[in-house]
This record gives sequence, structure tokens and C-alpha cells, in this order.
Amino acid sequence: MSRLTIFLVLISAALFAVSALVGTAPISLGDSLAALAGQDDAATRAILWEIRLPRAAAAFAVGAALGLSGAGLQGLLQNPLAEPGVLGVSAFAALGAVIAIFFGLAAVSSFAVPVAAILGAGAATVLLVAAAMRGAGIVTLLLIGIGLSSFAGALMSLALNMAPNPYSLADLVNWMMGSVANRSWADIAMAAPALAIGAALVLRAGPGLRALSLGDETAASLGADPKRTRLLVIGGTSLLAGASVATAGTIGFVGIVAPHVMRPFVGHDPQRLLVPSALFAGIVLLAADIAIRVLPLQQELKLGVAAALVGGPVFIWIAARLGKSSP
Amino acid sequence: MISVNGVSVSLGGRRVVEDLTFALAAGEFAALTGPNGAGKSTALKALAGVAAVETGDVQIDGAPAGGLNALARARRVAWLPQARPVAWNLRVEDVVSLGRFAEAPAAYDGMGAEGRAAVDAALAKADAAHLAGRAFQALSGGEQARVHLARLLASPAPCLLLDEPCAVLDIAHQLSLMETLAAEAASGRAVLVVLHDLELAARYCQRVIVMDAGRVVADGAPGEALSAPLLQRVFGVQRSPTGQLIRRPR
Repeated sequence: MSRLTIFLVLISAALFAVSALVGTAPISLGDSLAALAGQDDAATRAILWEIRLPRAAAAFAVGAALGLSGAGLQGLLQNPLAEPGVLGVSAFAALGAVIAIFFGLAAVSSFAVPVAAILGAGAATVLLVAAAMRGAGIVTLLLIGIGLSSFAGALMSLALNMAPNPYSLADLVNWMMGSVANRSWADIAMAAPALAIGAALVLRAGPGLRALSLGDETAASLGADPKRTRLLVIGGTSLLAGASVATAGTIGFVGIVAPHVMRPFVGHDPQRLLVPSALFAGIVLLAADIAIRVLPLQQELKLGVAAALVGGPVFIWIAARLGKSSP
Repeated sequence: MISVNGVSVSLGGRRVVEDLTFALAAGEFAALTGPNGAGKSTALKALAGVAAVETGDVQIDGAPAGGLNALARARRVAWLPQARPVAWNLRVEDVVSLGRFAEAPAAYDGMGAEGRAAVDAALAKADAAHLAGRAFQALSGGEQARVHLARLLASPAPCLLLDEPCAVLDIAHQLSLMETLAAEAASGRAVLVVLHDLELAARYCQRVIVMDAGRVVADGAPGEALSAPLLQRVFGVQRSPTGQLIRRPR
């Protein structure tokens, strides 16, 4: 483990502790620490273990998934503006979830939305993988992504237009803004397998991503398998994006910003970028979620909105700088 | 070491390499030359396994190259392409460590002592040792070319293919490159280098292969392959009374 990784892990751990101690319920520091240790009264323990910690875990896991998929896709597409949104995977995951909400499936089972989101991401993935298997290049994949995003966006607008009652509309808007409030351990357990498999696939693609830096042909002559690398990244990021959208709705920009910040610290190497990007994005979302809970607002700010408020301008700044020099 | 037998390659529906046949033995240092568009780069790609061979076959160590997977092939043949993109601002030593991808796909820091020693030695051979630790995109064109050369030399493959390695190098580095390649050949590697500088080829290579319009039109010792009639016919040049190559008046 590199020094950078250890440093990021320590910061993550510290933020988890802060997250457990901070919130709207007035619990003293001493009571919180006692509850963490498994003592004190049942109510305090429930607030910590059933409300604050799962929420913190969800924020970190979603952030890490977005950071890892952003770093993986940027390495694959060799473009610092790539993230699951670019390939249309997030949009299709959101579409899956919206369909589940629209048809009232969410009321039938609490697992309907997560499963539908992962299925949506999976549908986009199958299409992208099919294209990659037929030898589609980076530009083709990006164009397919644009098409998928527009199509999913149109279908979601249709769902909004036809929403049968104001409740489902409110649900939908709420969810599309992105949040990890009120997430339970069950929600996290639901997403965990997809997150774990997705992370394993992307990490396996690491060496291939570095070889791809020299172009497909040179990479192939070095013994790398560009097609396999492409499949690993597309499959892995789809699972990560589907699971994170299922857990927290759509949260943008973290997947773009985290790799951008970490890149200089790892010698711009697409492989060594993966783990630090995941940790940094997890830290960013966890810190943002803590800030949201502390901010004295009438109604709690949505995590996705907070991420976009900070991430949007940073994204534009990166894009503007790209215009001046090659990545 | 490596041989091509009746190899043809088409690009975009056009035959660019036609019925290519030659063999390169271990320890041999050969130049591949010819006018622009003769098919030299495509021939090299066919040898490196990155261009689809339409007819004929490539043999490496007496075995058909088609039966080798990418890793096995990379362990036998290393290729320096003419176009050398580097997508990210990688560290110099990480670019060079990619030359040993088939041995261990690690970045420089993650390589074993043996891998790091090979990378250091390759950087020294390419006169780029002082560039270690620098960011690739901050280097000059000639420095980048030497780092790419080091990447090639870091590979333990017994066959080296280089496509115009002298382009953008200053004269001293061109000469030192040819000396380095001659030394690699003397140590038992088979080296095939695409060159436009016929003087350089004649001076350092034991053998010159000339291609024209996708075919081999001469193959032999420099004096014999680069004969006056061939220079006139293929390159449209001739020797002046002072021994310089000059354009033949049309």
C-alpha cells in the first residue's frame, strides 16, 4: 500500500468517527462514544448504529464507487472528463429506478428500486459490451453513451409527465437529486455484491490501462489485451454505477473530480490512480454529507445537489483547461 | 529467428504489402528501406503481430506466429512504432517499464529489482538515464524519442523491430542509436530497423532490405542492395561525382 493510500484510509476512518458523532439529534460526545462502544441507552445506540453509521457507510461506498468508475473510464477513454454518465450507464440506472417508482413497484418491495437500477445499468452495459466485442473504438463507445443518455432522459421525462399521483412525482424528484439520508444496512447489503464485483473487475484492468496509454497497437504488441481491458472496465463500472445509483440516486461530478485531483500524486499513472480516486471520492461524499447534516437549513440539502454545486464549476474549469492543452 | 513467407497485408481494401519473404537470423542487424508508401511500416506491423496477415505466414523461432498469444509474442518480438502516442503525462521510468509488460505488468516502483535494473540499463543505453523521474510530456521531441527507445530496449525480447527511430534525433544521437543497436545485435538479438538515411544504413547494417510498392526489390549487403541502378529506379537518385546522393534529373 502506498503512503498516499494509507493517508487517505486514515482520513476516511477519521471522517467515519466524526460522522458518527455529528447529527441533528442532541447527543453528547461522551454518550456517542459510549454508544459506539456498545454501552449507554438503546435510543442513542440506535441513532448511531442504525441511522448515522449506515448513512456514513452509504455516502462513502457511493463516493468510492463513483471515484473508481470515473478513474477506470478516464483511463480507458483517455479523457479526464469521462465518468459513468458519459457512457450512459448512470442514466440507464436512473431510468430503471424511475420505472420501478413509476409502476409502483417500489411500494411492493423495498428492493424493487435497487434491482431495477442495476438492471438498467446492466442493459446499457450489455449494449456497450456488445459494441466493444465487435471492435468499437473509444469514439463509438462515447457516441453510444450520448445516445443512451438522451434516450434515458426522454423516457424519464415521459415518466414524469405521466406520473399518476403527486406522491410518486415527489419520490422521483427526491431520488433523482441524490441522497443517502435514511439508508439502512439492508440498502447497503443490497448494493454490496455489485460494488465488490465491480471494484474487482476495474482493479484487474489496471495494468492494461497503463499499457493502453501508449495506444491500442503498442499495447497489444506489449502483450496487453486492449479488448479484455475494455470489457473489464465497462463491466466493472456498470456494476459500480448501477449499485451507486440504486443506493443514492444520481450524484454527479465526484467521479470526474476525484481522479483529476489524485492524478498528480500518482505520476499520472492510470493504474495507480484507481484506489486513491476511490478513497478520495468516498472522502468527498462523506465530508459533504456531514456538512449537509450540520448546515442550519430548514430542509436538509440533498447530497446530489451539494455535489453538483461544488463539482459543476470544477468540471467546467477542468474542461476549459483541456481546451488549452492536451490532457 | 523471425521469418515472413509470402506475406500480404491489405489496408482499407488496398494491398500495401505483397508476397513479402525474408528471414532474419539472431545476431543480424538489418535495415529496411524504400520510398514513402513502400509498405515498410506495415511489414513491420505484420512482424509485430498488430497487422492482420492476409496470406502467407510469419514464423518466430520456427513456430507459426499465429499460434502465439499476445504475451508469448511480446516476449519474443518488441516493436517501436512510427507513431508513439502517450496518453497521460506519465513518469519516464513508468513508460520504460511498459517495455517489460510481458514479464511483469507493474509500474517502475512495483517492479522487482531485476525489472528496475533492466529499466535503468535501458535508459542508460538510450542516453536517457538523466530523464528518469521527469514527466514525459515535459520532454523535448528528441528526448521523448529516446525514452521510447529505452522502452523498446528494456524488453528482453530477442527480436527488435524499430520504425524510423532516427526521426527527430540529433546527429550525435542518431549515431549513438545505431551503435547501440549494433551492440544489441552483437549480443545475439535480431534487429530490423526502418531507415530513410541510406548512408546510415550502409554504414552500420550488415544487410539492407529495399521495398518498393509493397514488394522486396533488393536484399543483401549494403553495397550490393543499394546498387546504382536500384537507387535510380527505386529512389530516383544517383551518386554525384563527389559521392553524394543527388536527385536524378527527370
